[in-house]
Amino acid sequence: MAPSRRSFLALSAATLAAPAVAGAAKDAATIGWPSDVPSWDPNQRFVPDAQSIFKAVFDQPLDQSPALQLVPSVIKSWSMAPDALSMRVELRDDVSFHDGSKLTTADFHYTFFDRTRPTSTLDIKNSWRKAADIEVLSPTRAVMHFSSPAPTAPEWLAFLGSFIVPKAYIERVGEKEFAQKPVGSGPYRLVEYETNARIVLERNEKYWGPKPAIPRVTIEIIKDPSARVAAVQSGQVDLTIAVPVREAVRLHGQIDPITRIILLQVRDDLGFADERVRLAAHHAIDKAALSRAFYNGRAVPLSQLATPGTSGYMPDLTVSYDPKLAMQLLAAAGYGPKKPVKIGFASTNGQFPSDYDIARAIGQMWGRVGIQADIQVIEYGKYFLLNRGHKLPEATLYTFDNATGDPEIFVGYMLDPKLPFSPWQGKTIGREITAAFDIPGEAARIARWKQIDRQAMATGAKIPLLQSVQTMVRAKGLGVTGYGNGWVLPQTMRWS
Amino acid sequence: MRVALLLGRRLGTALPILLVVSALLFAALRALPVDPAAMSMPPNATLVEIDAQRRAMGLDRPLPVQYAIWLRGALRGNFGQSIQLRRSAAALATQALPATVELAVAAMLIASGLGLGGGFVLFALRGTPAEPVADLGTTLLLSLPDFLWALLLLVVFGVLLPVLPFVGRIGPDFALHGATGFLLLDTLLAGSPAAFASALADLALPAAALGIAFAPAIMRVLRSSLAQVWHQDYIVQARLRGIGERRLLLVHAARNAILPTLALMGVQFGFLFGGTLLVEVIYSFPGIGNLMVDAVHNADLPVIQVVGIAYCVVVLAISMAVDALVLTLDPRLRRLR
Repeated sequence: MAPSRRSFLALSAATLAAPAVAGAAKDAATIGWPSDVPSWDPNQRFVPDAQSIFKAVFDQPLDQSPALQLVPSVIKSWSMAPDALSMRVELRDDVSFHDGSKLTTADFHYTFFDRTRPTSTLDIKNSWRKAADIEVLSPTRAVMHFSSPAPTAPEWLAFLGSFIVPKAYIERVGEKEFAQKPVGSGPYRLVEYETNARIVLERNEKYWGPKPAIPRVTIEIIKDPSARVAAVQSGQVDLTIAVPVREAVRLHGQIDPITRIILLQVRDDLGFADERVRLAAHHAIDKAALSRAFYNGRAVPLSQLATPGTSGYMPDLTVSYDPKLAMQLLAAAGYGPKKPVKIGFASTNGQFPSDYDIARAIGQMWGRVGIQADIQVIEYGKYFLLNRGHKLPEATLYTFDNATGDPEIFVGYMLDPKLPFSPWQGKTIGREITAAFDIPGEAARIARWKQIDRQAMATGAKIPLLQSVQTMVRAKGLGVTGYGNGWVLPQTMRWS
Repeated sequence: MRVALLLGRRLGTALPILLVVSALLFAALRALPVDPAAMSMPPNATLVEIDAQRRAMGLDRPLPVQYAIWLRGALRGNFGQSIQLRRSAAALATQALPATVELAVAAMLIASGLGLGGGFVLFALRGTPAEPVADLGTTLLLSLPDFLWALLLLVVFGVLLPVLPFVGRIGPDFALHGATGFLLLDTLLAGSPAAFASALADLALPAAALGIAFAPAIMRVLRSSLAQVWHQDYIVQARLRGIGERRLLLVHAARNAILPTLALMGVQFGFLFGGTLLVEVIYSFPGIGNLMVDAVHNADLPVIQVVGIAYCVVVLAISMAVDALVLTLDPRLRRLR
């Protein structure tokens, strides 16, 4: 929109005389995004929602295709040693930061070694605990050395917070100033930012990769889902995500499954000490009905800790909806509709779409077979406190995001008793997971994670429910590339 | 001078109030069943690392010790770091405060306009067939909370018509930055009428939502006060002296009737300031209400603490300002105290 028109509209709006909003011009687009970035230092805080925005301003060493395959980015080639204790990387020689300085292995070393030392307060430190050294061979070649096998290092180079930052600039201005005035090497430059309000990006005309089709992108931070719906409906934004499913249907938006799993975290003691009860709880849930009721049938029913299309997914692994079998298992354990097993069941309310409603529906399904669930609402922040004190109830409704789709982050992270996510304390699975993290060789490690996933399903260590969906509504004529992990990248947007 | 002394005394009581509020807030936040240490760590942090973080944040120490550490820092202007944003909590609140103040002042102007105007109209309608209708109207206005007004106005004026913007503080063609943080002022200082109009347009709906919700109480109190004053001897004598009804109402009756209304407006302004939370979220208004909602969601205790104190400070300041106004307008109160 030309400034003169905008000014006229704004003035008119002030006098309630004419529309204040209108469709965007083709050289700009406005996105309604549900949350702000936590900081403009992309290594500092890991927030999945911020990934798409960071990817506009910064480059990751490796990238993912829309189907989530690892693809070259700043790193044009890489090779993992057979023992997974080192990895050679070769960087492109035509990448520059927005301040004009060249991106080299010095920046790579600074980001993934200097900034990941134990004294660092950045989140990236936790991703690269195994980084023992980065040997710089030339401005474009380096070798990463690991203290123990790191077979998923390439995946982590394309994951949360792994963005290359400019060493010289940060050393010159300091980390605090960098977080205020970031310099990246991505397809867009940050030109305006106001906390909790607005991010304005302008195309990096010297970008080494494909140039974005839209020169200027404004991201309005709109936290309320209803306000996002209204904003896209009124034309104040051209694209928005995370709107209620019914609104996405009404506005003919997209409802796409992504690499996010809705599951029940379960304990291995109390009312769920008996494996037969846990399995009965799994068989009693009609996941397809949940999908139809709450996700317009678009959420894929799951019986494993992997989403379709990812390397850990096993099409043959299913846990049937079978209330009769559930009742038989409960009867064998000494329970039934007239003598129900009593368990606690925690759920958030509003943490993800329809969470509490899903919990109530599951409670009803369980009630029919002989599981009496006492549903309690908890805050997301309370989950970790309760889990730390082993005070979570037998079942807790939960979601788990994994943009890489890798089974290490699905199966390993969801079940590892050393991490804060899982209330399952089974020692056997814990030991197997610890060992699986170090298995070198792609085929061998994937096979091992699949094996552990099968074992978890057979013992009722987790009850996966659905592959969650991402909703998106966009203006007519605005295209955007869809990613299996829910990324919405401004650089892939285009007007037709 | 007398007013200054009385205000000085009020200021003296405000400081202990602030101290008590900060202690209560601190204790209440520590009693919340959330784990700020876990919330401050990356998703792949181990339980051992989270425990270490808990110790580093001092969360394992006795509550009085934690409060003493916080208070010592606060007295030096250090209110702690945001757990989520790793930035100074006080700086975040200071940055967001002007937006909320601007919104609250605009809303109060609307509430005052509607409330005072409506109060005179209600008074004029007393004893007429229109009175019950007007009463029903104010009851209806009273029964809708501000966030429902916010949604209603957004749908009607933002989506259905649509005549007003409802995202943020200013249109995308204008920068949000300014010297003071008060956009209406900043755009005027910058000499940009278009930007001023854009900021005003963005302010209109959230301010109206808050203002409309707070206006009915002002209307009713003013009407009651006017009705009370209207039968007092000085009004009767003034009427006998031949003073016209309009002058009687606007000059003689209103002067006394406005005092309780002003006191109520002061209290209302405090409530209104606290009531911006949901309205700011609905209109994506980057004020301290928005900041608070995020902080609560992320168990960001230092930010909740500092925003809570900011609310307290503003409410105390408003209360003192209203006191000063009432003392200035009513000499009797100065003598009584």
